Amino acid sequence: MTFTRPKFRHPDLPPNALGYTRRDYEGALSTLCAGCGHDSISNAIIQACYELPVEPHRVVKMSGIGCSSKTPAYFLGKSHGFNSVHGRMPAIATGANMANRDLLYLGVSGDGDTASIGLGQFTHVVRRNLNMVYIVMNNGCYGLTKGQDSATADRGSTSKKGTPNPFESIDLCELALQIGAGFVARGFSGDKSQLVPLLKAAMSCRGFSLVDVISPCVTFNNTSASTKSYQYVRDHAEATGTVDLVPPRQEIVTDYQDGATQEVTLHDGSVIFLHKEEGSRSITDRRAAIDALESHRAENRILTGILYCMDDGGDTHEMIKTTLQPLNSILQEDLCPGNAALQQLMEGYR
Amino acid sequence: MEKIASINDCVIRFANVNGSGSASANNLFAKAVFRLGVPVSPKNIFPSNIQGLPTWYEVRVSEKGYMGRRGGADMVVAINSQTLRQDYDELVPGGYFLYDSTRTLPEEYNRTDITVIGIPLTDLCNTKIENPRLRQLLKNIVYVGALASLLDMGLEVFTDSLKRQFKKKPQLAEPNIQALEIGFAYAREHHQDACGLSIQSRTCNDGKIMMDGNNALALGALYAGATVAGWYPITPSTSVIEAFDSFTKRFRLEPESGLRKAAIIQAEDELAAVGMVIGAAWNGARAFTATSGPGLSLMNEFLGLAYFAEIPVLLVDVQRVGPSTGMPTRTQQSDILTAAYASHGDTRHVLLFPAGPRECFEMMADGFDLAERLQSPVIIMSDLDLGMNDWISEPFSWDDARRYDRGKVLSAADLEGLKEWGRYLDVDGDGIGYRTYPGTHPSKGAYFTRGSSHNEYAAYTEVAPVYERGMNRLLIKWETARRLVPPPEEKISDPACRIGAIFFGTSSPAAFEALDILKAEGITVNSLRLRSFPFQPQVMEFINRHDRVFIIEQNRDGQVRKLLLAENEMPAVKLVPVLHFDGHPITAGFISQQIRQALQARNSSI
Amino acid sequence: MKPTDIRNPEYFHKVIDCQYACPSHTPVPEYLRLIAEGRYADAYMINWHSNVFPGVLGRICDRPCEPACRRGRVDREPVAICRLKRVAADFKDAVKARMPQIPKEKNGKRVALIGGGPASLTVARDLMPLGYQVDLYDEQSAVGGFMRSQVPSFRLPLEVLDEEIDYILDMGVNTFLNCRITSLKEFLQKGYDAVFIGTGAPRGRDLPTLKGRQEGDDHIHVGIEWLAAVAYGHIDTIGATTLVIGGGNTAMDCCRMARRLGGKDVRVVIRGSRAKMNASPWEIEDALKEDIPIIEGLSPLEFVVRDGRLIGMHFAKGGDQENPVFIACDEVLLAVGQQNAFTWIEKELGLKLKNHWLPVIDEATLQSTLPQVFFGGDAALGPKNVITAVALGHQAAISIDLYCRGLDLKVRPAPGITLSSQKMGVHDWIYDSQVTDDARQRVPTVETVKSIQDRMLEVELGFDKKSGRTEAQRCLNCDVQTVFSFADCIECDACADICPTSCINFINNGEEEDLRSRLAMPAKNTSQDLYVSDVLKTGRVMVKDENVCLHCGLCAERCPTAAWEMVKCFYDCAKAGQ
Repeated sequence: MTFTRPKFRHPDLPPNALGYTRRDYEGALSTLCAGCGHDSISNAIIQACYELPVEPHRVVKMSGIGCSSKTPAYFLGKSHGFNSVHGRMPAIATGANMANRDLLYLGVSGDGDTASIGLGQFTHVVRRNLNMVYIVMNNGCYGLTKGQDSATADRGSTSKKGTPNPFESIDLCELALQIGAGFVARGFSGDKSQLVPLLKAAMSCRGFSLVDVISPCVTFNNTSASTKSYQYVRDHAEATGTVDLVPPRQEIVTDYQDGATQEVTLHDGSVIFLHKEEGSRSITDRRAAIDALESHRAENRILTGILYCMDDGGDTHEMIKTTLQPLNSILQEDLCPGNAALQQLMEGYR
Repeated sequence: MEKIASINDCVIRFANVNGSGSASANNLFAKAVFRLGVPVSPKNIFPSNIQGLPTWYEVRVSEKGYMGRRGGADMVVAINSQTLRQDYDELVPGGYFLYDSTRTLPEEYNRTDITVIGIPLTDLCNTKIENPRLRQLLKNIVYVGALASLLDMGLEVFTDSLKRQFKKKPQLAEPNIQALEIGFAYAREHHQDACGLSIQSRTCNDGKIMMDGNNALALGALYAGATVAGWYPITPSTSVIEAFDSFTKRFRLEPESGLRKAAIIQAEDELAAVGMVIGAAWNGARAFTATSGPGLSLMNEFLGLAYFAEIPVLLVDVQRVGPSTGMPTRTQQSDILTAAYASHGDTRHVLLFPAGPRECFEMMADGFDLAERLQSPVIIMSDLDLGMNDWISEPFSWDDARRYDRGKVLSAADLEGLKEWGRYLDVDGDGIGYRTYPGTHPSKGAYFTRGSSHNEYAAYTEVAPVYERGMNRLLIKWETARRLVPPPEEKISDPACRIGAIFFGTSSPAAFEALDILKAEGITVNSLRLRSFPFQPQVMEFINRHDRVFIIEQNRDGQVRKLLLAENEMPAVKLVPVLHFDGHPITAGFISQQIRQALQARNSSI
Repeated sequence: MKPTDIRNPEYFHKVIDCQYACPSHTPVPEYLRLIAEGRYADAYMINWHSNVFPGVLGRICDRPCEPACRRGRVDREPVAICRLKRVAADFKDAVKARMPQIPKEKNGKRVALIGGGPASLTVARDLMPLGYQVDLYDEQSAVGGFMRSQVPSFRLPLEVLDEEIDYILDMGVNTFLNCRITSLKEFLQKGYDAVFIGTGAPRGRDLPTLKGRQEGDDHIHVGIEWLAAVAYGHIDTIGATTLVIGGGNTAMDCCRMARRLGGKDVRVVIRGSRAKMNASPWEIEDALKEDIPIIEGLSPLEFVVRDGRLIGMHFAKGGDQENPVFIACDEVLLAVGQQNAFTWIEKELGLKLKNHWLPVIDEATLQSTLPQVFFGGDAALGPKNVITAVALGHQAAISIDLYCRGLDLKVRPAPGITLSSQKMGVHDWIYDSQVTDDARQRVPTVETVKSIQDRMLEVELGFDKKSGRTEAQRCLNCDVQTVFSFADCIECDACADICPTSCINFINNGEEEDLRSRLAMPAKNTSQDLYVSDVLKTGRVMVKDENVCLHCGLCAERCPTAAWEMVKCFYDCAKAGQ
């Protein structure tokens, strides 16, 4: 029996500001396990792109290998996608971004893809502050090879395999903070009301935006002793605050009286409003963000929400001073100096 | 003792310590020979080290125009005390031994079959040059000045060169010229007529240039419109990207903003480097990378992706000695098989074999056209000898009417008019589908690129016949490539001759010279210089018209010979390997001797 | 909101829009699946059990199911349920053997049916298998009532009608034809245990007081009677220019029949606007296709008669009687409604009438104020349609059975509910869960030129097996219910994410209006229910808007804990004796 999704949608689907309905952001039917957190993230991406809004064909989807990296087939079917090789998505994304700086690069990776085989490429794309959104669908295990612990599995966490993980875990958010990411956030696939605004903010920020999303693996790592299970995350998550992203050119009507609201204005004029918990740290202070992560970790709490946001770093193009024109659109006339110049150049070699 | 005497036909070897500034002095010398109109071919024999280890610079002067390495040296300029003994011992009888006579040559240096020329370089510098920092550097210029006298070259060509070199900083030219004159004067005074070697002005080099292959490749990339380079430093390819960097700074800066119409990213490793190229090329930029053997090994995974997902990649492999780290600063042609079949599964890649700077320039431009036309990797197989040594070359030219062949790419207007489109649909029968760049059209032309098995519409598939169909289509594309790649260069000296030789790249100058040597001995050998893989039909036609074909290459395992056997049906014995793989460039003497021996062995066995 | 009580059979029944809308609650999705499987006889019997005249209704039903069909809310057009019923009838094998066994030994109770239309026949069908003696009286020479006398045979061939009537009569119904009952009082003396009156609404309304009515009588006909006359062969021609007055289905039948009897210029005149016509849209469409214009906004003022001959009519346009509009014609057919008239029911019997044409009855039991007398069909509630008559027949049969057994008529038998899980394996369901994209299939018709020449020729050819199958597969299987078990839910959102029509939500609870507004897609169709779960672990509830659920099963497919289950709900409306 085949497995397809009906073409019919709710007849009242409203168009966004660009005239697209949510349907225009959908992709093919997922072939991941039923209940996989990744599917929820795919849907959050669809929702974020629809709400922001972005034009579907101006988005480029990038991924590596693994369950997570299959997902770009499941959202934004009108966007080009590139499912590359294991752990190497950052390189492909870097090249693609170099070729055309005007598109929105949406990288999707997993914890194996990012924290193990791709850790090198991950750190370097962060330190170059490539203008992209990098979403980690973090389930603490290798799904496609049937449930081995990954490098983000917490020490002592036990997957379906039954043996507690003996190794220290890598906190990708903390790592990204240390090496210069412009935007760092942590979400949970089971909380779209938080995840969608996080993704929208990430897409609005210039530079490297990491959204590490804890995404339970229902098949291999949703056990009662796993720290990446729906139940554990629900019991231990604590948000830095709730987030609103007000896009540019939209009147800010929300009235934030309380002193606990922090505003961050982005390069394009969007404003992130963060309604913080009592005693929360500033999200524009890198060191405070690292402190917050560490102190929560010490208490076995999972800090979620926007951890850090600084939109003024300058992305790779700014760092290496490339032209503002997309390189893939420059004409031969402007690239090839011509024979006269060549002959002049030849003189130097005589 | 019979002194070696020759006009415009000699090899001079400079023995230096690296990091001592000798390179520019030695270049100055080679360039002077070039500017005197005499064919010259310098070779850098250097260690994988930055400072303090021995390095040699071998300059072959050949009025006949033989640019391959000859082997042996007629004169050694022995400035390196670490190798003094070795340099002394290896000098051919009748040769000349020039050394810094500030310190007396020890007693045991007592050969009687050579001419020893002592120049007190340190002494001269200490007494005549005030700035202590300059003394060390200018010591090298002093021996160049001495050579100018010993070899009858005159000073003018050197001083002209220095003036040109320091055009923008004339104050720097002055001490150099002074050093030249010091050496020249000393030699003329103390060693008049000591040397039987002579270099005299000719017009052989009219119009020609002198350039290394890496610069030529970089210039080719500039002219081909490359805008993105991802790379990782590795000898001997590094200067390709560095030259591209400087060319783009010269020709691609926007005057107002200073922003550059090129993005060059030094990657974290070669994997990332080629990944960036794939990403950029996929997104419609002309992108390339340059590496050497170890980098090529790392790039295998991605090359398979590019082959299977059909993405243009232009990759320069400046080959060095392997396996593993091998000898990073020595030359070899030993990546042929790994490049031809790079990556797991059934893969094969287009290879181009440049044999000189001009071909480097042209093949770079053609390589981009080929890569984009074929939507597949194209690997330019240079080597350290070509890449890092200066070669005399015909000047480059660019046809301003030439348009880049960007291959089959659909524009928004094309997409608008299309009813059916599949990224991997072979509508033209050449095995090549039409691709689209991201962001082209709001609703048409988007597809999902993947290294997993896909059907004509880029959708994932594990259906056996669909996979097979795709792989067979890639073979059709391979045949298209065969029609498009540069044809070999054939030289049929005698149509009746049944002996042939096949070679490529930097083996070519020595091979041609060897064939001349053999011809002079009455042995005629027809030749074919390979310029690309897949092999064009002429290659088999050439093999078929000969009984024995010598395959000359610089590796241990006869890689091109194996490739010929793998790709064609023929008796293996027909292809006779001539293999040179010690890390030094192959010589005509070696080749001619191997062929001579092989032919004699056969004759005697009959 | 309180958690939805899905144990109430009416909750799921309501989700099955077609069945819920059908007066006799035919289990439509069930028989459509059988048609798709090529099990035509099985499909027929499901129908027969429920609506008694599948072959007839597959042609002439008013099809209230189709406007209700869920598919019409997500696709351009609903499933062609009615014509699929015909597919079952057309392609079935012999079904005679499947008919209920009639007890040889009767139960000793005698029931009389007055009038031989669909309501009475339904009563007979329901009571015969229970052992009743049933005597049927009709003033015509053949049984069938409205179906025979007033539905033209180009829409309903006689053999179809006869076949389905015979299934009932062959059960052993005693028929008394050409037998007009003129006095109920006398009739009651026959001592029947119960009497069912299903005399229909046999009289068409006339316009007796309109000027010129008398003078033009030869060329002025009450439409429904005229159709009967044509059906019985009494009339076979009509004037070249004919006006049909009225906008109901009878008017449509009249005008189309007029075309077939030689009417070259046939026009329909209606008081109101076309949008407000009573006729079914497809009937209007059929008439228009036969080049019959519909003139709106004219009220009849006068039949214009000159030299004893009708030459046309005057109409008031928009109530303006001063400037009448004249339309010339040779013949007028009046289709302005039907009337009942119980002149034969004596007042002293105590059987109360509401007015001249409707009795006072208990609408649930159909019992009149004379306990042993029951009404059904158009005679009970006024002019409706065949399927309503059947539904009322079923209810009357239940009442009569209860009455004869001395039981409380108010305690109605409960509907039969059969629930069956549909999961077979991964991506594998017993029902065909795939939602096809096919558009509504067109029913092929005989060429207009040909059909106009032969009034007996059925215009519609019906679906062939292939298009029938395609059409049947358009059914969304609304009877396969999404059943949610809140205790098993881990709130992973998989169901909400996959749902094509965004029906499923996990939100904080609230009052219905508030909840409806807060759904991902606000639930504006208040005629459709919200399915609300118990409180989940996060304190939220699952809220599903039943409105545009496609019953595709993807929620259950993607649920890792089987908190969603696809369960087929077979709702079988109760019949007499159950």
